[in-house]
Amino acid sequence: MDKALWYLLTATRGGENRARIIQALSERPRNANQLADVLDVRYKTIRHHLDMLADHGVVEAGNNEYGKLYFLTDQFEQHRDAFEEIMEQIE
Amino acid sequence: MSSIQIASGLAVVNILLLTLLTAVWVRNYRKFRTPLVLGLVAFGSVMLVENVVAIYFFFSMKMLYSGDPTVQQAVLVLRGLQLVALGFLTYVTMK
Repeated sequence: MDKALWYLLTATRGGENRARIIQALSERPRNANQLADVLDVRYKTIRHHLDMLADHGVVEAGNNEYGKLYFLTDQFEQHRDAFEEIMEQIE
Repeated sequence: MSSIQIASGLAVVNILLLTLLTAVWVRNYRKFRTPLVLGLVAFGSVMLVENVVAIYFFFSMKMLYSGDPTVQQAVLVLRGLQLVALGFLTYVTMK
């Protein structure tokens, strides 16, 4: 997962916003709407990034259908040091 | 159209894709100073130069490749494969 995370966050067009989503979800679980508000990013963009992060096993949605809350996965937590390393490199 | 003309056309498309990729990586390098992104910037730049040189030889009428049709077809196939490779990389990078 490490390498995929590095590429996903630092080498792709939407990487910066995906990193910000992970930071926001580290504080507490939120739904797509709350993420859009907190990060000042359009809802559709947030949805796209959440789908990408879910595809890579970084986030997962809770059970309730409406306003689903997103959580970081256990798999991500095992690789959190890679994420912290990336964040330390931010200008 | 000769193989070498089509191959040069593909080199132009490769240049467009590489410009797009390198622009994303340079922008991200400004944000994330990671060795991975720096490596990608270097990779994109070198590939960009390689394609520009190929186009230069085409327009300068100097022969980079032999006039042999087999060689020219091989060049076309190689440019085509490079386009496919860059296409995949662009797809995953832009998503």
